[in-house]
Amino acid sequence: MPLVDPVTMSSSAIVKGAVAQSTSTTKSTPGSQATESSTTTAGSSSSLATLRPVQIKQTPAAQTVRHALPAALTALYLLRFDALVTNPVPVMLNALPVVAAFQMTYALLCLPAAGEPASKSNRKPRPGEKKKGGDIGSSTIITALLASVLTSIVTPFLYFAMVLFGAPFLTHGSHTFLCAAHLALLTLFPLFYVHGVDSAAWAAVGGFRAPLDETFGGLVGGIVGAWLGAVPIPLDWDREWQRWPVTILCGAYGGYLLGRVLGGTLFWGKKF
Amino acid sequence: MSFRRNGNLSSTLLLIAANVLIPVAIVIFATGFFPYKPLLPGLAQYEPLDGYGEPPEAPFDKLVFMVVDALRSDFVYTTNSGFKFTQSLIRHGAAIPFTAHATSPTVTMPRLKAITTGSVPSFLDVVLNIDEGDESSSLASQDTWLAQMKAKDTGKLVMYGDDTWLKLFPGTFDRADGTTSFFVADFTEVDHNVTRNIPGELRNDDWNTMILHYLGLDHIGHKGGPRSPHMVPKQREMDGIVSQIYKAIETQDHLKSTLFVLCGDHGMNDAGNHGASSPGETSPALLFISPKLKGLQKNQDSPLPDAEDFQFYSTVEQSDLAPTLAALLGFPIPKNNLGVLIADFLSIWPKKADQAYLLHENARQIQTVISAASGTKTFDGALPAESCASPTSDYEQLACEWQGPSNNLMSARVGDDMDSQWALPVVTWLRKAQELMSGMASNYDMSRLILGQITALLAVIFSLSAAIKTVSPTRSLTPLLVISIAYSIMMFASSYVEEEQHFWYLATSTWFGYLTLRGFKRANTTFPAHLLLTAFPVLASLRLLRAWNQTGQKHAGTPDIVKLFIEPHPHFLWLLVGLTYFWTHRQLVYSFHGRIPVPINYPVMTGLVLAAFTFKAAFTLEDAPELVVEFVKSSLLDFTRGASLIARARAVFVGLGLVAMAAMGFILWEMRGAGGNRKRSRRKKGPAEAITTLQHLYTILALTQSRTANIPVFLIFNLLYWFLSSEIDAPDGTGLSTVELGISSLLLQYASFFAMGGSNAISSVDLSNAYNGVSNFNVVLVGILTYVGNWAGPVWWAFGTVVLLGEIWRRDQRQKRLGSGNNGKRGSDEKEEEAEAKQMLEGGQISPFKTYVAVTTLFTAFSVAAVMAACTILRTHLFVWTVFSPKYLYCVAWSLVQHLVINVGLSGLLFWLGSF
Ligand SMILES: [Zn+2]
Ligand SMILES: [Zn+2]
Repeated sequence: MPLVDPVTMSSSAIVKGAVAQSTSTTKSTPGSQATESSTTTAGSSSSLATLRPVQIKQTPAAQTVRHALPAALTALYLLRFDALVTNPVPVMLNALPVVAAFQMTYALLCLPAAGEPASKSNRKPRPGEKKKGGDIGSSTIITALLASVLTSIVTPFLYFAMVLFGAPFLTHGSHTFLCAAHLALLTLFPLFYVHGVDSAAWAAVGGFRAPLDETFGGLVGGIVGAWLGAVPIPLDWDREWQRWPVTILCGAYGGYLLGRVLGGTLFWGKKF
Repeated sequence: MSFRRNGNLSSTLLLIAANVLIPVAIVIFATGFFPYKPLLPGLAQYEPLDGYGEPPEAPFDKLVFMVVDALRSDFVYTTNSGFKFTQSLIRHGAAIPFTAHATSPTVTMPRLKAITTGSVPSFLDVVLNIDEGDESSSLASQDTWLAQMKAKDTGKLVMYGDDTWLKLFPGTFDRADGTTSFFVADFTEVDHNVTRNIPGELRNDDWNTMILHYLGLDHIGHKGGPRSPHMVPKQREMDGIVSQIYKAIETQDHLKSTLFVLCGDHGMNDAGNHGASSPGETSPALLFISPKLKGLQKNQDSPLPDAEDFQFYSTVEQSDLAPTLAALLGFPIPKNNLGVLIADFLSIWPKKADQAYLLHENARQIQTVISAASGTKTFDGALPAESCASPTSDYEQLACEWQGPSNNLMSARVGDDMDSQWALPVVTWLRKAQELMSGMASNYDMSRLILGQITALLAVIFSLSAAIKTVSPTRSLTPLLVISIAYSIMMFASSYVEEEQHFWYLATSTWFGYLTLRGFKRANTTFPAHLLLTAFPVLASLRLLRAWNQTGQKHAGTPDIVKLFIEPHPHFLWLLVGLTYFWTHRQLVYSFHGRIPVPINYPVMTGLVLAAFTFKAAFTLEDAPELVVEFVKSSLLDFTRGASLIARARAVFVGLGLVAMAAMGFILWEMRGAGGNRKRSRRKKGPAEAITTLQHLYTILALTQSRTANIPVFLIFNLLYWFLSSEIDAPDGTGLSTVELGISSLLLQYASFFAMGGSNAISSVDLSNAYNGVSNFNVVLVGILTYVGNWAGPVWWAFGTVVLLGEIWRRDQRQKRLGSGNNGKRGSDEKEEEAEAKQMLEGGQISPFKTYVAVTTLFTAFSVAAVMAACTILRTHLFVWTVFSPKYLYCVAWSLVQHLVINVGLSGLLFWLGSF
């Protein structure tokens, strides 16, 4: 069984930094983020055109935000947990803009916007040249806005997917929808920011063939976490937090943060 | 090559060993877990008690015993009850009310056993309750108060109502009219058949015992729950009968010493079902009624406000009825009784010596039971004081504690002056003995439990190594192992056992989500189109299945598709039902196409499907008339008016049998043709297609045995089946592998069981179709019909899997031929195909059927071992009789019937037939 399907391979697999592909095949580690390293291919299948793992920007601001935001999200979650249990809908609704701001900051400061940064650095691969820190140009902001629009478009579909996997359909509509919105904001927004609407990239993500990085790790973690969140619901402990959708949201946040941290460090560049 | 063959042989042997060990383990464990309780034989006689005179005179000589099935305590005692007359009797002291605690399993037969023998029936009585014709459940040879009343020879025994009594006491009743509860939609006729006998019998003076057992109230519960609009009118009807009998006792001279007992055999839960041990189910009402009882001056308040726990007045054990009746009617206490004489009645006997006699007789009888159980003669002489300082067993402890009560009885006998509470220590001691003897924990045979456990673990090891040897690459077993291990862990939590369906639903959706996503790799469509056209229909089908019937304990009775969309819209239901039958008809005709000429094929299949459809309509008209729409009634039923349900069902079964035989005939014919004459044309169908005929015939059987509201589920099954089939035919070798098909089949078998309303509770066993076409009880037939009625979905998937396995097998052969580049010559093609088939069967290559068996065996071994471990470790847990024992019985059904008989036996036969 071939690992990569001929169909996908031939048609549209994208290469971020296609120029560099032939020049460098050394495996990079997330620690050595010189300019070149962002152009190297990851993984052993360098002969195939594949998706590269996303590099976090090297600016001090990006590195700070990268570590500070997961902590801030965790703090926010723990702080609002009791309120979430008693009053899920308003709490989730109010938290949504805060989480959106967090994710927006994260994307703008840490992530390469769709297409642009990688190609920019590829066009002038001068060794030793430091990329200008935090150059949030108008185009990146537009990318971020587009990504948030895409995220909100995809939220109803995510809601629908949750219903298909067993979320209540006739009741708890706003609960499930807000939960889907949180999940989309956490896991899909960074991916939209990084990949845009690149169908080949999304095919790789959807087929679980993309290499692990903070964005894809976060997606996998968030989905697995939300999935595992359904496990404690049937228990007869009669706790308030067993109510829909507290455990799902809890699993989504926990899984997302874990997946993002692990995907960005330990498993960076690895594939399933 | 030879290594490969050896590996294949050894894995086959391991697989066989595992499948032999599974039933062995189940039997060994069951004999230790459900021990056979030794019963004292013979009828109790009055034996002289040391120092006492004659047995005290009994205040009553006749008994009217009225059972209202599922009469929960609050139905009689609370403000919104319909029992107004009975409540007035309570206020006047003519009725002494109790809440009688019924132990789990709260189903009729074990409850009647407890009521009549005074003992606690073993859990296996549940199985025998379903298997109603079993001889061993008969009480004809046991000591009961019925046998004692008969032995008194002061009158005849008569019985009107639930024929469970006739099955329990064959030959005991002189006059009887049994009613059956085939159709729970019957609220009135079933009770009218009892009531019409009462006036005549009240005039007769030739009986000393009259049993009445009303089923209507139970039926209303099953149909509409305790708050059904039919409930209070039914209670008023029952109250009217109480009034009728009470007034007869008051006025008629030959009835003046009649004791009238009104009780429920069990209660019901909020959904109107029973079987488990929720407070509602275990709290039936119990009343002793007679004008004579006014003398006790026990006037009590009535009605009472609602109580959450259903405990009203004082609570007694259901088994206490036996010794109390013995005292009140004057006969020896039945030998195996564990009940305690209800102390409220002691003051009927003015003399203390008489009261002491009754208590002492109760104690002595229970001591005999204890001695028999413990195998010692603990109560024969006085125990040495030193052994009482540190008793070695519960029995010894009990014997030591007997000293105090025994002294009290002694003083009461000789007429010493004593305070009014003198009897209390005796009753306390009796209760303690009752508790000890009713507790099951001491009865486990630990060595058998452990031996069964070890055998099951061996089966796990064997099946695991067989699977590793059979399946390549080994890592494709990972999902199966994850499912098996997660399931095993889950078995240790009672709530996960009760809510097992969630595990299968989530696992199935995830697995099929993975399969559909994976399918995108080779799809020629865009991602959204693939999602819309493949992933969405598959996952939506699973979501519909999940919501079809709400099952489990936690949310029992909450709305589901059946309650929200099917029951309120019968037209919609019949549209879907008609579509299901039409679809099956189409497939059946198609599978015979080319074998038999159209002028025969079409009418025969149409007749068969119409017979099945009209049977379903006629059955539903009896079972759930509110679901039958006018159109169905007028067009279909009038068309075949007059045919009885039994005749209709038999017509369907005979038709199915004949067509199945024809299909088998074609298979054998074509097998012979294939062996001798190689020149069968391409257009002619092979046995593989004949197997699909059997599959469609089974679909008709499954429809016949399923509840009407569940029939549309088979349309959903067909959609999922079509998806799996399309996955097999993937062009480039990325299609479904045998292991993946095995996992899909396993998941769908379990998910479909729960989707059709199954659960791990005894109360969810659906008996409504168990007697289709059966007039005289036949254990085998009723057993098969019950199994198909409850496992219709899982068996359907087993059939489907065999057909799909055949598709995989032919696909692999095709690919091998293409791979060897030998696809030029058409003539030798077929020869080779057959040669390869032979080779495959003889072990040159692993047959997909073997891989499938390896998959199901692995899971079955894991589940059996896990359920046994859970039952052993949690054997003293509160839930062992309500959650884990029923789970064990379900696990037995899954592994012995579904796995061994269906997935290995039947599927193996079909695969073998289809592989020629
Ligand atoms: Zn009953
Ligand atoms: Zn019932």
